[in-house]
Amino acid sequence: MSITAKAGPAIPAGPAHPLSQRRPLGDRGFQILALSAGLLVLVILVLIAVSMTSQSTTWFTTEGWSGVFSTDWDPAHNIYGAVPFIYGTLITSAIAIIIAFPVSVGIALLLTEVVPRRWSRPIVYVIDLLAVVPSVVWGLWGILILAPWLQSIYQSIASGLTGVPVLSTFFGGQGISGASFFTAGLILAVMITPIVTSLSREVIATVPVIDREGAYALGATRWEMIQGAVWPHSQSGIVGAVLLGLGRAMGETIAVALVIGSSPTITTHLFTTGYSMPSVIANQFGEATVGVFRAALIGMGVLLFVLTIIINLSARAIVGRSVRRAGGE
Amino acid sequence: MAIGLIAACMKRYTHKENPDMHLRGRKHVAAVGGAVAVALLAAACSSSSSSSSSSSSAAASSAPAAASSSPSVSGKINGAGSTFQLTFQQAAISAFKSTDPNITVNYDGVGSGSGRADLYAGTVNYAGSDSTIPTTEQPKLNGKKVLYFPVLIGPITLAYNLPGVSSLKLTPTLISEIFQAKITTWNNSAIAAVNPGVSLPSTPITLAVRSDSSGTTQNFTLFLQDAVGSAWTLGSSSTIKWPSTARAASGNGGVAQAVKSTTGAIGYVDYSTAEASGLTAASIENKAGQFVAPSITAASTAAAGVTIASNLTFHAVWDSTDPTAYPITYQTWDIVYAVQPNATDVSLLKAYLGFVLGSTGQALLEPLHYAPLPSNLDSMAVAQLSQITS
Amino acid sequence: MMAITTDQQTVDLREPGGWRRTKNQLATVGMWVAFVVMLVPLGFVLVTVVSKGASAISWQFLTNGTLPVNVLPVNYGGMGAAVLGTLEITGFAALMAIPLGVLGGIYINEYGGNHVLARVINFFADVMTGVPSIIMGLFIFTIWVLHFGYSGLAGSFALGCLMLPIVIRSTYEMLKLVPDSLREASYALGATKSRVTVTVTLPAAIGGIVSGSLLAVARAAGETAPLLFTILTVTSTNTNLFSGANTALSAQIFANATQPYTGAQARAWGAALTLIAIAFILMIVARLVTARFARYSE
Repeated sequence: MSITAKAGPAIPAGPAHPLSQRRPLGDRGFQILALSAGLLVLVILVLIAVSMTSQSTTWFTTEGWSGVFSTDWDPAHNIYGAVPFIYGTLITSAIAIIIAFPVSVGIALLLTEVVPRRWSRPIVYVIDLLAVVPSVVWGLWGILILAPWLQSIYQSIASGLTGVPVLSTFFGGQGISGASFFTAGLILAVMITPIVTSLSREVIATVPVIDREGAYALGATRWEMIQGAVWPHSQSGIVGAVLLGLGRAMGETIAVALVIGSSPTITTHLFTTGYSMPSVIANQFGEATVGVFRAALIGMGVLLFVLTIIINLSARAIVGRSVRRAGGE
Repeated sequence: MAIGLIAACMKRYTHKENPDMHLRGRKHVAAVGGAVAVALLAAACSSSSSSSSSSSSAAASSAPAAASSSPSVSGKINGAGSTFQLTFQQAAISAFKSTDPNITVNYDGVGSGSGRADLYAGTVNYAGSDSTIPTTEQPKLNGKKVLYFPVLIGPITLAYNLPGVSSLKLTPTLISEIFQAKITTWNNSAIAAVNPGVSLPSTPITLAVRSDSSGTTQNFTLFLQDAVGSAWTLGSSSTIKWPSTARAASGNGGVAQAVKSTTGAIGYVDYSTAEASGLTAASIENKAGQFVAPSITAASTAAAGVTIASNLTFHAVWDSTDPTAYPITYQTWDIVYAVQPNATDVSLLKAYLGFVLGSTGQALLEPLHYAPLPSNLDSMAVAQLSQITS
Repeated sequence: MMAITTDQQTVDLREPGGWRRTKNQLATVGMWVAFVVMLVPLGFVLVTVVSKGASAISWQFLTNGTLPVNVLPVNYGGMGAAVLGTLEITGFAALMAIPLGVLGGIYINEYGGNHVLARVINFFADVMTGVPSIIMGLFIFTIWVLHFGYSGLAGSFALGCLMLPIVIRSTYEMLKLVPDSLREASYALGATKSRVTVTVTLPAAIGGIVSGSLLAVARAAGETAPLLFTILTVTSTNTNLFSGANTALSAQIFANATQPYTGAQARAWGAALTLIAIAFILMIVARLVTARFARYSE
């Protein structure tokens, strides 16, 4: 790789320059190397889709669409319906979002509006600490400490709510267990808070200062300014952030596998045991040496992959659009 | 490696060409990074062989064997399956290492069902299974003959977590109703009727069951089927569709942990695990109408006099009419193919199984809360060793 | 306390009183409550892990290569096998993912420009960061483990797939921040594009790139799900990364979390403390690198 010492024009940067004969081999080689590294992403994604789908075809062929989407899961009798797990995934993620949304947006607003610049650094470090705790440690703490402690709390809530019409369908019922949908949802909420908070902060930061100051100039209190200036600008971006959190919550495996109770059930009682897609894959994969069983688990992996890709795509699109729109104004 | 390339480039074109660039530390970072990378690669590629692996193929690598239990035999054998015998297997393997240091044995407690599946797939030399091979799995043997080597006897306890209730009596009917979620609170009148004088709390009953394919489940449900007949509707198999409010866990250990950490829980756990976890177990009514607490002597009594088939299979649950017998006593086997792929495997298996069935191996059982095999069964098993051929 | 009168309306410049002020205060309190609500589980977990784990940790715990049977108390054997496994598997994954990720980020930012392919790769790298880790594990299981068996290498592949998009994205973000004037000056001196990228742009962004990579490594070290399908947790030391099943701290914690014995649980807490310490150290180093070496930051 030698420097071209001629006085001629240097090779410009910018859009991909057509490879001309004057470019040294090493330079072209480097470009190809970089391109292949980039393409690896697409290759891996395609391979994931293809290889996992091909391994799960026996599930679809043996059960058919009605079998795959049935509510019955009974490996002893070769019945592999995925609905209880889809339900569990959706419910635990919903609980996580409902809890994490106000908390994360609250913290994001705290950091951008309330706390002076100097102090926001340590708070951000604390949030990062939350992100650094591995999922398996959350699960360990959840199953050994949190679930037993929560069991008695759930029990009191459930007995207190007997007979109350709407609430008891969610928070009442038999078979109250510390290891349940709600506990899993709680831990998920804690785990997705860092990502939703940091993305919300990014989105809120794009709100033009003019709008903020204009609101203050009109005599608004901080809360009114947030309602009137920040929220309209950042609302779709925050929705995108929440969607990303949802995607993360749906895919979270280990913490949920440990605290959800491992019982494929479809019920509205949140304080009872349940199951979710990634949990059943993690827990039962060692068992699944029979063809259709394994295909069913891999098939659920495919379902999970497709779901999280769709959610991530929409989230990125929404966040991207809102950031662009805010930046353009 | 690209890091090396970048490092090399940076080293060449630093100081002179880019005097303004902030270089302090960068070269060193690159050099250290490169060295670390090389060191990691070297360590990873080191040819020191792994000392054990549960998934390697059944064929062991070793020198030619002399006599069947000669210390000169060396190699590796793998087993997998029942968590009931897991604690014993771990103890036996480590004791065996002192008598036969050249033989490495590995046992993975994945549950009886998975252990058998591994045997069919050829990834293990022996499968630990608490039940005989079910008829649905017979085709997987491809006509090959298997030998059952009984290993130990033990009780299945009904372990429960009720602070303040130190002793509890249960009948098979009660157990059947509890595990079908027909009785849902501890102070139910049916339970109280059998336990006069015990103050039962109103805590709801949480069921702790197995999520994996388990021989313990199979024997427990077989007991219920034999004892209460058609009142037990969930059948008997290694995987059961438990009531939806049950909490499932993996392995006997998992169920024990679920019971231990949940007030009001009851689960079926093997005696060895229950004792080691410090759980309290209920006394169960046996065929003679007596309530017997789980113990090694009660288990041995239950197993004595059991009818043994010629292939050393038998059925200890709900069998004995002795008033001191524990009704949910079960057994576990190590299953091997009668015909092994090579002579080395034969010697290795004979060495290890001989140890397990011999006096040293069986002496390990009682301190671990297992019951040893009745002596007639043990002799039959040792005699069966000669049937392993290549 | 003045009222400014305009043509149409009066703007009241007094302090907002009564209900508006209360709402504002409530909102501020609400935000602080949100922060505290997040702190509670964090504090709870850290305190528990440190108190229960510290009593398990000892030099023997960290280095002894024999994982004892579950019933034995914590002073027998140790987690050395798992520590070695985590270091080896994560280390090799980093070795694969970081160079490839940096190159990918270089492609998107330097060579891609407005080319469709670059934008597609950028977009999908972003999407790939959201793919659950269990999918990576299943993926490597189907294309590698089924053919070549369980090994630490398979685990490294799975973790590498996890780290790759993170490193690509962070490289891309950091390179974007390097001002074009640096590049243009180098081109003006007649350097080839690869030369410019490697010797000017990359070193300018290296602080942020290294710190982003370290955070990716910290994340990978804590992952369990991809390892469940690729390394088949064993209980003895396997120094050979490329053949034979292996173990790792995260996998051991998962296995021990469902054990009833105090010894096994103590080992789980000790391993959890070790894992958090590793991730924490990597995070601190990443921050230090950013503070010290990053020339351009947001």
